[in-house]
Order: sequence, then structure tokens, then C-alpha cells
Amino acid sequence: MALKATIRGTSYRFGSIKEVLAKANAAKSGDQLAGVAARDAVERVAARAVLSELTLAELRQHPVVPYEDDELTRLVEDTLDEQAYRAVKDLTVGQLREWLLETTTTGARIRAVSPGLTPEMAAGVCKLMSNMDLMVVGRKCEVVVRANNTLGLPGRMSSRLQPNHPTDDVDGILLSTREGLSYGCGDAVIGVNPATDTAESTAEILTALHALMQRNEIPTQHCVLSHITVQMRALSELRCPMDLMFQSLAGSEQANTAFGISVALVDEAYAMMRELGTARGPNRMYFETGQGSALSSNAHHGADQVTMEARCYGFARRYRPFLVNTVVGFIGPEYLETGAQITRAGLEDHFMGKLLGLPMGCDACFTYHASMSQDELESLKVLLGAAGCAYLMSLPVGDDIMLNYQSTSFHDIPSVRGLLQSRPTPEFDAWLEHAGIMRDGRPGPRFGDAEAIR
Amino acid sequence: MTTSRTRALIAALRHQLGADDPLPPAPPLPKVEPPPVRVFPTQRSQSRYAKAASAHTTALLGIGHVGTRYATDVVLQFQAELAVAHEAVAAELPDGWAADNGLLALRSRVTEHREFLLRPDLGRRLDDASLARLRAEAQRGVDVQPILADGLSAVACMGSGLALLASFTRECEGRGLTVGTPLCAKFARVWLADEIGAVVGARVAAILLGERPGLGTGDGLSAYLVYDPKVGRTDGDRNMMSNIHARGTPPEQAGRRLAVLAQAMLLQRTSGVALDLSSLASDLGEAAGTGYRAPQQRVRLVEVGS
Repeated sequence: MALKATIRGTSYRFGSIKEVLAKANAAKSGDQLAGVAARDAVERVAARAVLSELTLAELRQHPVVPYEDDELTRLVEDTLDEQAYRAVKDLTVGQLREWLLETTTTGARIRAVSPGLTPEMAAGVCKLMSNMDLMVVGRKCEVVVRANNTLGLPGRMSSRLQPNHPTDDVDGILLSTREGLSYGCGDAVIGVNPATDTAESTAEILTALHALMQRNEIPTQHCVLSHITVQMRALSELRCPMDLMFQSLAGSEQANTAFGISVALVDEAYAMMRELGTARGPNRMYFETGQGSALSSNAHHGADQVTMEARCYGFARRYRPFLVNTVVGFIGPEYLETGAQITRAGLEDHFMGKLLGLPMGCDACFTYHASMSQDELESLKVLLGAAGCAYLMSLPVGDDIMLNYQSTSFHDIPSVRGLLQSRPTPEFDAWLEHAGIMRDGRPGPRFGDAEAIR
Repeated sequence: MTTSRTRALIAALRHQLGADDPLPPAPPLPKVEPPPVRVFPTQRSQSRYAKAASAHTTALLGIGHVGTRYATDVVLQFQAELAVAHEAVAAELPDGWAADNGLLALRSRVTEHREFLLRPDLGRRLDDASLARLRAEAQRGVDVQPILADGLSAVACMGSGLALLASFTRECEGRGLTVGTPLCAKFARVWLADEIGAVVGARVAAILLGERPGLGTGDGLSAYLVYDPKVGRTDGDRNMMSNIHARGTPPEQAGRRLAVLAQAMLLQRTSGVALDLSSLASDLGEAAGTGYRAPQQRVRLVEVGS
């Protein structure tokens, strides 16, 4: 195949499919840092033109990290649904974009095809889509999962309650949790990023949150986001309640090694959760990803950050997770510099994850050294809600006092739900109505009253 | 006749919608009551819940709501906190600051602030002039080489940086360790310590630098220590301590804790994931941070007309 296109008499040649994928990517500071970005907007369009003519079969034959070098490539290749793949393999990437956008292509049809798609295909089509394209298809995708409640149904938008504390003070964590619940937040998970990565501290926080959920009969899940090996110790040795098990994933074997994980380790953790996890299930895992993580450990293999992000989803789908969350603006301006880049990345990740069958949430956020305004961040939350994002985060005024970044607030969740006429998961919705926090889907008499929760 | 059928359909719809104004008249003018005061919690204006919360967390709890949004006062305090964080990020170390404070001034290969944010690779290496100055003027072969640096908050570096450097140096010397020429690096990332440490032949390099500012705060420092520093060390080779500020671990206490850490690296001849910290708890004592409770009060930033 000739990787070549001509624009206004200038011809552009590309050395490999990996280079085409990288240069077709929307402008991102991280791709510039990696030295793989298009040199200008015209070369970017030329790369997209070449990409649009590649077939899905060609993308499968050319993963951005070779089969021999990477267990994630092997995982995707060896477990791909051949029947679903055969249904789409002769489409070009441009045709896949059009097929996804067609009115006759329903969420159910996309769900049938999804197991035959590789991460490179999801990333490829993403690069040919505008933000609104990404939203339209993202909204169509059907991903519904269940742990203690049922997440991802149409007309529903959930939230993770994130009551982090700089010293893991359990009283402080519970105070934030109670207030968040009183704003209708926390139906995706009550999830704490611990300051101290020990099994004892993980078990202590989980036990306290479990007691609060029992006392108030709250139909949700809980999780402490320590390293997966720490959670495995807390679960198997300390026998604490654990509804969801968490791990950050990256898009190459080498990057996952830097995270201290492998396919075998996550397989072991998943088996342990199926045996000892406390949620009703069947979905019991929680993963976080984010563009730029592979490059940050210099394990991107010369590929762009959107393609490496899609490869995380190829890893995640093996475990039928309850939640996958792209932490879109946390990594810093060297990967996503501006509000426009962070917005684009959030919509890309949501789309690619949903296309690959995952219950995608998004931590719409910025660090204080990125060039994104609070107004831009608020807009992104509405865009994600309109795109059918399964859940957003929620913190007091969006301020993470432990990780020092700005995310979604307790107040934003009922605001976005009000704007988009969406509701929490049905089980949690019923609990909120019963507790008087909501009344017919609108703020009720106990709305914002943390003392409504004991 | 398709056209006439369409016209008939629209005419019927118009009739159904009515011929009057599309909105009914507004209701009688209501009495607009000023809403109850809802403020960013301070010690003198707190709900019972906010008072309980402020004993345990700096999270902004008990602020109430207006519909589903924030009260005006909360919005203004929030914007002030955001502005403080952005100001800390944008601040730069003035060129004479290091020399004025008796520190040997170095800088990375970064030339300006935006490049500093976008090119971490350049912030990890010294520029040629700094490399020459370091070779000519710094003491060689020391146990510990401390490096004060701006990192992501020059405000923090200029704030409690000197106090942390002094306390760390004193605590190291008190343990019989030799400490290198005090240095200050501009536009510095954590890994810059690897090259500096290698050039001076230090056994441990310790970089003390401004951390990513949080809402309303730009005064936090972090410290990263590495044994046998050289270019190519990774994060797994380092031990770190964050949240060094008045509400977290104060500089005095942090300096002691870091000196204990440096001493352990020298004894065990390693650092990072390989360093065994289990035996250190008793040595760390108060410096281990257990039992210490920093004040959790969140500061009100905006006062009008005062």
C-alpha cells in the first residue's frame, strides 16, 4: 500500500501506518513532546486522507507495537472475535466512520461489532471524527453494567464521589462522603485515592465506608484506589469488604511494567474479586487511564497518545469492568496543554472506550499549570453528559485537596443532570427520593443537607 | 396534492397553538426577598456541620447551595483561590535571588516559562554555563548534595525553601554527614538532580522543589532523594516526600525526616523501591509524622471594604 496523499500539488509520504496514525491525530502537546506529531495542519489532513483509505484488516496487521514485543498486542490479537472482525475487515477507516454515524447503525449493532475491533481501529476512526461526531456515536453506544446498582442505562448519568484526604483521616473522608451523597453524588462509586499505599489503611477506609453504606442502606459501590497488589492483600489477608478493585492501566507492556502490573497479575486480581468481592456483580473491576501515561514512562514505542490510550481499553475489556475512567487533564500541560486539547481528549477517550464496549466515565479536570479556564471545564462536563458519558467525578467545589487538581464538584452533578434531564442509576435514584434528597428528579427538602446521612 | 396537505397540517397546528402571544402574561410582580446569607465558612460564620468538618479536613464543606449552584460569596472565594494557584504557577525565580541568598545559581536548558511547562526533558538537564559553573565552584565527593529549585512553584521555593534547606543541612550535619555547596536551580524538574549529583560526585542527591500548586495554595514543597545519582535514574530509584508546608509537614520536621532518609540510603547503599524503610520508624520518631495534626482551617481570601 502507498502511504501517500497530495494536497494542492504537494505530496506527503508516510513511512508506516504508525506514522500515519500519529500524524492524523488532533494537535496535542504530548505528541509534539514525543516528536511524532504532524508538522502542520496540512500534513495532518494528508495523514487523515491516507488513514481514511486504509482497511481495518490493514490496521489489524500493523499494530503500533509488534506482537512479538508486547503482551497487550498479543492479548488483543489472540482474543479478537473473528466472526465480528470478518463483518468489518474490508471497510476502510473512512467507511467505518460513516457506518458508525448512519442512523440505521444502532447501539445494538455497534455492540455486536465491537468485539471484532482492535484498539488501533478505534483510535484510527477517532482521528477522522470531529468533537460532535465523537459525541453522536458515543451517545449511541450501549454499555450497561451492574455491581450493586445498574450503570449506563439511557437517560442516566452517574458520578464517582471522591472524598480524598491528604492524611487519609477517616472522619474527614466520611464528612466529605456524607455531603456528596446529599447532593445526589456517588452512584458510580465512592472511591478514595489514599495518601498512604498500605493494605491496613486501604482496609480501614473500605470498612468505614462500608459501614456508612450499610447504616444508610445506600445502593452503591465502594473502592480504595491503592495499588492492585495492596488491595489484593487487603482483600485476601485482612478480609475487608471490597465492592470494586482498582488499577491504573497503560497501553504497552513496558508502560504497565512501570505501573507494576501485567496481564497475569490483573488476571489473578480479577479471579480473587470474583471469589471474595462484596458487590453483587457481575462487574467488579475499576480501571483508570489517561492519554500520555505511556510516554511519561518512555514506553510509547513511537506511537501517538490517542492510539496508546485505545490500547488501554483493549486491556480493560478483558475484565468486564464496572467502571473505566479517563483522567483526562490530570497528567499536565506537557501532554494536553490547553482547554481545547483537554476537551478533545475527553471526548476521544469516551468515544473509543464506548466503541470497545466499556462503561466510560471521565474525570474532566485540569491541573493548575494547564491553560484551561474554569468555564471551559464546566462546558466539557456538559459536553460529556450530552455524549452519554456514564459518569463524572464529584468533589467539594471540585477541589482535590490531596492530589491538587480541579475536577467536577458536588454541585456540578445535579446541575448537569438538570440541564440534560438525566437521572442517577435507578437503584440510587430510588434511594435519593426515599431519603428526601431528591423529589421527582429535582432537589428535595434534604438536598445539600449532609445531616440527612448518618 | 402533497403541498396542500402540508399546508393544511401546519394550519391546524397553528390553530392548536393559538393566535395570542406564545407565552402567557408574566405573573403579578413578586416581592423579591434578599436570599439568606450563605458564605464561605470561616470561624465566625459556620454551620454546625461546617464546624465539624473544619476539625477534620480542608475540603470546602458546608457551603450550602443556591438551586444547584454556589452562593455568590463562595464563587468569589473560589475564584480568588484559583487566581492564587495560577499566580504561583506563573511566578519565576528572579535572576539574582539565588546569589542574594548565598546559593550557587544554576539553570536547566529551558529558556522560558512556557517551554518549562511543555518540555520536561529540557528541565532535566543543565545548560552549558551552569555545568561549567558547577564544575568550577561546587565541592566534590560529599555524602549529600542539596539542591533548592523552583519546580512548579517559585512562590514555594522563595517562601519556605530556605527554611527547609537550612533544616535539612543542619540535620544531615548533626548526623555526621558531609553536605555539598548549597545550590539553587531555575526551571528545574526532579530529574535535574541526577546530573547535578553525578557532576559533583555526591552519594545522595536531594532536590527540594515547589510542587504543583493546589487551590488557594502555592506554598507546598516536595523533596526527592536518590542514591548514587546519575542520568538515567527513574522514579523507582527515588524516595519522595510531599506536602511540605504549614498545613502539611512543616519545614523543620520535614528536614529531620529527610536527613533520616538520606542516612538510611547511605547505610543501605540504595534508594527507591529497594530501600528498606521498616527499620526507620523508630529513628524517624516525631518526624515520621504519625500523631501530628496540622491545623485544617481553610483561609478566607476576599474581604470587601475592609
